[in-house]
Amino acid sequence: MATDTEDTDWLSTDARLRWQRLKGRLFVGVLVLATLVGVLALAALFAYIGRDALGPFGAEPSWFLLYFGTAVTPIAAYTLYVTGRLRWLGDPHPDVRTVNDTAFAVVFGSLVLGLVVYAVATALAPEDVAIYVVCLSVPPLLVRGYARRYGETHFTGPGTPVSVLFGLGAGVVVAVTLGETLALLVDWLLFLVVVTLPAAALLGSLAVRRFSRRWGYLTSAAVLVLGPAGAIGGIVAGFDPALGVVLASGVLAPVGLLVADTVAHRRGGWPGLLGPVVLIGGVLVGATLERSLGITGLNSWLTPTLVFDSWSSTDPTAAGIYPQLVGSIIIVAVMAVMSFPVGVGAAIYLEEYAPETGWGGRLATVLDVNISNLAGVPSVVYGLLGLALFRNAFGLAPGLVITAGATLGLLILPIVIVAAQEALRSVPDELRQGSYGLGASRWQTVRNVVLPEALPGMLTGTILALGRAIGETAPLVMIGVAATRFSPPEGLFSGATALPLQIFASAGNAIPEYRTGVLAAASLVLLVTLLAMNATAILVRNRYENN
Amino acid sequence: MATEGHDTLQRDGLAVRKERLYGRLLAACAALTLLVTAGIVLALLGQTIVFFGEVSIVGYLTGTDWTPLIGEASYGVLPLVTGTLLVTVVSAVIALPTGLAIAIYLSEYATARTRAVLKPTLEILAGVPTVIYGYFALVYLTPLLNEVFPTRIGLIPAGVPVLPEYTFVVPSLRTFNVLSGGVVVGLIIIPMVSSISEDALSSVPDSLREAAYGLGSTKFDVSTKVVVPAATSGIVSSYVLALSRAIGETMAVTIAVGSSPQMPDLGNVLVNLTQENQTITAAMVQIAGAESLGGVTYESMFALGMTLFVLTLGMNVVAELVRRRYREEYD
Repeated sequence: MATDTEDTDWLSTDARLRWQRLKGRLFVGVLVLATLVGVLALAALFAYIGRDALGPFGAEPSWFLLYFGTAVTPIAAYTLYVTGRLRWLGDPHPDVRTVNDTAFAVVFGSLVLGLVVYAVATALAPEDVAIYVVCLSVPPLLVRGYARRYGETHFTGPGTPVSVLFGLGAGVVVAVTLGETLALLVDWLLFLVVVTLPAAALLGSLAVRRFSRRWGYLTSAAVLVLGPAGAIGGIVAGFDPALGVVLASGVLAPVGLLVADTVAHRRGGWPGLLGPVVLIGGVLVGATLERSLGITGLNSWLTPTLVFDSWSSTDPTAAGIYPQLVGSIIIVAVMAVMSFPVGVGAAIYLEEYAPETGWGGRLATVLDVNISNLAGVPSVVYGLLGLALFRNAFGLAPGLVITAGATLGLLILPIVIVAAQEALRSVPDELRQGSYGLGASRWQTVRNVVLPEALPGMLTGTILALGRAIGETAPLVMIGVAATRFSPPEGLFSGATALPLQIFASAGNAIPEYRTGVLAAASLVLLVTLLAMNATAILVRNRYENN
Repeated sequence: MATEGHDTLQRDGLAVRKERLYGRLLAACAALTLLVTAGIVLALLGQTIVFFGEVSIVGYLTGTDWTPLIGEASYGVLPLVTGTLLVTVVSAVIALPTGLAIAIYLSEYATARTRAVLKPTLEILAGVPTVIYGYFALVYLTPLLNEVFPTRIGLIPAGVPVLPEYTFVVPSLRTFNVLSGGVVVGLIIIPMVSSISEDALSSVPDSLREAAYGLGSTKFDVSTKVVVPAATSGIVSSYVLALSRAIGETMAVTIAVGSSPQMPDLGNVLVNLTQENQTITAAMVQIAGAESLGGVTYESMFALGMTLFVLTLGMNVVAELVRRRYREEYD
């Protein structure tokens, strides 16, 4: 329309055409307006909650200037450099961007994962977690080792899941008999088992793949040394030695491996390693300057008290959501364990096994319709199912972690199945036919060809579903989960608690600071958790879509 | 596979049995979903039957009082149903046109880049926990709406001689009210309308658009007179699904709409929006929070659940039927 030639000029004098054009423009205007309604509503939600949670208007202008100088400008300049928009610095090496993405993922991923493991293991009692880590990982590893040593595959295939079940049983027995004895050990020794051993195995096998077998062993040995070193560091510096173990072997070790890998394989990409350093360093420098210069910072409700203390319903400044946060994480973990295997299994059956015709085909259609209907059942009705099933039929106490996790697991099951089905459908048929052509059976094809290809999509869908479920409140209310607990749940059969429940329960608190402060901060924590999970899902998707 | 006597090609018995075992295990996973449905139906049905043994079904369906927790309990579901309807209507007014407009924009007008930004944003809009929407409505939206809207609207401007002054009094919103609850439920279902409608719009084949352009249509004509009509079945089905979601929405309305069921006031319709009410879902949450195991009140929760389940399931089935029955097939 912008290219007015003489012809169209002559045409546009026609009133009818002008009206047509106006109509079209108005229509687009209305459409854009409607789209803006959605976007602006979201922006308003975040703006209001962010304002009340962080209190930016309480800060001096110099505070903003300070952080603008120490954190925002450097990271912005750095990002521009990495994306190749700072021409005068020269084009960055092509590896820089990959290294940068990996560096951010490794640093913040391992940090978050480490802290979550530390918090959850501390809540559930480290001795129990250590027992289950050993009991659940040793039997399948023995089976695998046997399979590799003797080249036997007939029984080791089904043997792996059976050995996991055996390990679970053994874990229960050991936890009952030895749990109390092991509890006498210092926590950090147990955390060596919970964090350092798996980290050593994982990083070691990564190093074997990236470098050589010898370097793999050396890496494992280094991680095993780093763990106790972290504990000693903790004792010397005066913080929990268990946290030292987690940080040293769970965060420092993977970062070290990343640096080594970059130096060895992607030397040109080294500037990519600086991203997290610039970000964390900038914030730290800003915080130090803020304190030494005596600048008034944010009037924030998002304080260490809020994140690390337990709830108080009378004093807003003392209210914290630590038990609820850890409770939510534990529920999500239970939910994932319950819904992912079953959901993937169901999807594999429907996509790969179910016959197209005959009774089997009809059954598959019924299952498909049933799943899409289940996805439309209101969440509060799932709460009633949980109530009737676990409380009335099984006679469990109200509001246990296991019931909460199972109820929400059933709630997200249809979503997980649909996501997994989509992932399976996107695997090209040529791969299956190639596998069949080589003489593989149906299960071998699924196991070795289809599943590896579809797994990222399945994980993405599941993480998104879990993110959705972390904010679910209604089913938890229905099954009688307590909003306020003053310590995180101690086990699967202990009372659960969840962050959204606390928000629900305190929305009616008469003290105004709760509504305009504590709850805003709690909501912000919930939103950030959710966004982080969504971002993880998108990262997983992008990483594997590109390959 | 080759089973007709080609002994040399046949897998040995163990491998065949293993295959069969895996197939059965996977089928069991799929069958579990049927068990979930059966569990829901049985759980609801069992307690509902017990409930209707004590409260007459006619009294339940036609009663205008829902007071299960105060004084002499009365179990009339009508005020809850009308409360739910009110919230749903408000959310529909917000979400259905907006959602469709977003869908048309995304499918017909937006550039690939805009879509790449808008679609994740809408996904986040749908992903925000509903409890936060409820909190947002209660703490921020209601005061905001109270400020924005005037309390009196002069239908005939004051100061005009001869004519009597006639002003229309808009009652101000209560702390808990239907309007802000309905608005946030509308926000919650916008992404559902827009994504399903957009799928329907983009699956209209380009040949139809090109044919219309060839006949001299403007983009506006193509969008509104060709693409949207061709995708009607998908759009209607998205509407029904979204409304079903609005009916089943729980936490936002529990927090924002409150917990005192009201029969609708047919005199001044706007009053219904400004005052407190209660939806079916909110009543269930209220009972779950207050009642211990057993008793008529406890059972009434399941009767409400059954009502909700039948209502939403019916709507979902209708949506599916509309989609299948009226789908335009293009080859």
